[in-house]
Amino acid sequence: MTRVGLLIFGVIATIGFAAIILVGLPRVALFSVTAPPELQPYDPVQQRGRHVYIANGCVYCHSQQIRNAAFTTDVLRGWGDRASVPADYVYDRPHLLGTMRTGPDLINVGVRLPNADWHLIHLYDPRSLVEWSIMPAFPYLFEEKDPEAVGPGDRVVPVRGPRAPAGKVVVATEDALALVEYLLSLRRVYPVPEVESAPGAEGVGPAAGAAGAAAARAPASGPGGRTMP
Amino acid sequence: MSRPGEAREPPGALSVPGAGLPLEEEVDIRLRADASSRRPVLVCFTTALFWLLLGSIAGDVSSLKLHLPDLLVRQGWLTFGRQRTVHLNAMIYGWASLAMLGVSLWIVPRLVHNTLRWPRLATAGVVVWNVGVAIGIALILAGINDGIEWLEMHRYLADPLLVVGGGMVGVTLLVTLLSRKVDHLYVSVWYMFGAFVWFPVIYVIGNWPTFHGVESGAVNWFYAHNALGLWLTAVGLGAIYYFIPKVLGRPIYSYQLSLLGFWGLAFFYSLNGMHHLVGGPIPTWMITTSIVASVLMIIPVLAVAVNHHMTMIGRFSALRYSPTLRFVVLGAIAYTAVSLQGMFTALREVNRITHFTQWTIAHSHVGVYAFVTFVLFGSMYYIMPRMVRREWPSERLIRWHFWLVLSGIAIYVIALTVVGVWQGLALIDPQVPFQRTVEIQRPGLVARSVAGLLLTAGHVVFVWHYWRMVRGPAAARELPPFYGVRPIVYTEPGGKP
Amino acid sequence: MLPSSLAVLVTGLFLGAIALGAFIWAWRRGQFDHLEEQAHVIFDERDYRLERPWETEAEREERRRLYGEPVPPEPGEWGGAR
Repeated sequence: MTRVGLLIFGVIATIGFAAIILVGLPRVALFSVTAPPELQPYDPVQQRGRHVYIANGCVYCHSQQIRNAAFTTDVLRGWGDRASVPADYVYDRPHLLGTMRTGPDLINVGVRLPNADWHLIHLYDPRSLVEWSIMPAFPYLFEEKDPEAVGPGDRVVPVRGPRAPAGKVVVATEDALALVEYLLSLRRVYPVPEVESAPGAEGVGPAAGAAGAAAARAPASGPGGRTMP
Repeated sequence: MSRPGEAREPPGALSVPGAGLPLEEEVDIRLRADASSRRPVLVCFTTALFWLLLGSIAGDVSSLKLHLPDLLVRQGWLTFGRQRTVHLNAMIYGWASLAMLGVSLWIVPRLVHNTLRWPRLATAGVVVWNVGVAIGIALILAGINDGIEWLEMHRYLADPLLVVGGGMVGVTLLVTLLSRKVDHLYVSVWYMFGAFVWFPVIYVIGNWPTFHGVESGAVNWFYAHNALGLWLTAVGLGAIYYFIPKVLGRPIYSYQLSLLGFWGLAFFYSLNGMHHLVGGPIPTWMITTSIVASVLMIIPVLAVAVNHHMTMIGRFSALRYSPTLRFVVLGAIAYTAVSLQGMFTALREVNRITHFTQWTIAHSHVGVYAFVTFVLFGSMYYIMPRMVRREWPSERLIRWHFWLVLSGIAIYVIALTVVGVWQGLALIDPQVPFQRTVEIQRPGLVARSVAGLLLTAGHVVFVWHYWRMVRGPAAARELPPFYGVRPIVYTEPGGKP
Repeated sequence: MLPSSLAVLVTGLFLGAIALGAFIWAWRRGQFDHLEEQAHVIFDERDYRLERPWETEAEREERRRLYGEPVPPEPGEWGGAR
């Protein structure tokens, strides 16, 4: 090739086309995705918790997307009763869809594990609740105080097990509480109309609708007190 | 393209084999080109090696924590979620990108038979890039990141420095390209040039702050996959196309195939990104487009593979004599392997099993390590003697480096691929409790830590060797290796013998 | 499903047409002439004539025929003692 001009044109053209197809067209197509009425925007505490989630890299082990029941078994595994749709994520900035399941999917963890104390203990020392877990412990999201120093506004965490600090009381920091608020806000179980909310969405199809209806009749993904993910 | 004010060379003088300039003048052009790129290239390589070591340590820490999860948990900056992120960013934007900048800055002047223009701009650009990476990584350790995989570095405090610094190097290369003294642009130039145009475009799009929801996911993977294919792969292929023929002393098998390979990459690769989101809440047509584009990649990948193989055929014993070829050829094979693997795993039925598992990690390391990093090692083995004007001090250290990293990556890839498939099969079986999917990975996670330590050891050997070479005795600087076969007296650029 | 497949098809054809057009334009402008020469841009005399220890006798003959007298490597250039 002798022409720098041709090279420049070709190089810019190819990335331009890709950007049009994968960025521009979706921009137009997804512009009309609106939040379902049941989905609330994150409040400031939950938003702060979302930042804590990001700051500590939770997304590198946990996904937040349920795949279509016709495609695979996310729903059967109890992680949700229907596939995720674009409308579920309108308030997510940035997305936290995730690409690894070293830990379980979390998009409905607020349904499966609605107990704040469970989460606080689990964050402080995952293996005291789930002995086979390889999740990192986050003791730095907590303070270890002398019992006399605990104030009236402090949220005491009932930790137990070999790593509980002797003679000290574990108190959650604002970050830990916010993170738990965010996790508890992860519930996407409202029904979605198949066509309107997600035109051609990978996750929604006739099977997902049927699975959703079936799950609605049976108890969904376990009672609130379950400790197993 | 006319070169203002300069008399043109007699047509074809430099582009017809065997009828070129007298050897002295050819040597002179090479020496001047190498001398002009020396400082920016050395800054690139030295800083790249710093990030290689830092990224290796972060990688080892991350790997150990996956089977020793209570290791070093008391400090936030050491948590897995930050160390892993530091590992990725240090390796991609620190090690690989800076080494690639160095390779580009060396290769382009050689390919245009002229000196690097504005080398100080290039060096400044490299420094700016380094500052950007350092800020980005420091902030990640402090818990401040943008929350997007491959784009965690702070979009206002760190990322603009990469765009500016990379832009400065790109401008240098463009000006050098425009002052070329050859008529033809060798294929490596297209790849390097493409990379320098593509990277800032995708980087700005990827970092654009207004995206949210699933669009944010689509843009994320539009960027990340194109960073792999249009930045890392492009420079990697450009380097392979240069070093294999150069060391062998025979031209690439088919120049037509190299055209097909380049434009196929440009056209199809850029549409691949959504295959990271198969099954996800993204419009089906986008994912289908990416899967189709992923499969169509067979065209450029085969073109490149055939080209490299047919150039090498019958000469694989050269790998015994040339560390450059050892690394570059294995890297080229890894490129073909990772591309075929990628096409395979983009298919929905396969993706169903491999998505979300250690398989993906193994696959990505075949690409960024067995392909890109090996090619960069090979390139550095070729370029460095021409920068410091003496040979690598120790053959033994080259061998140690090679065998440590080869065994490391082999164990890494095999272990994680195997447990990744086990993990995936377990995940899609709803009868299998999640606990099993975690426990089943453990042997692979431990093996990966062992592999990681081998890789780190190999890197330490390489960096030590590099250090010894750069700091070698001053007397050795007088002798020009590879140039002195006949009574040509080495001259300083523009000076007297 | 159909509308989205159609979108992909139409887009693909559109892109393919442009790519084909660019290719034909480049062909007409002579971009693909003298391709074999381009592969030689990277070489100088020494690259052609340097002796390589892995080459067979036939390959050395070919090299001598094409490029002239071989150039011996520097001590240690291909490994071994310097």
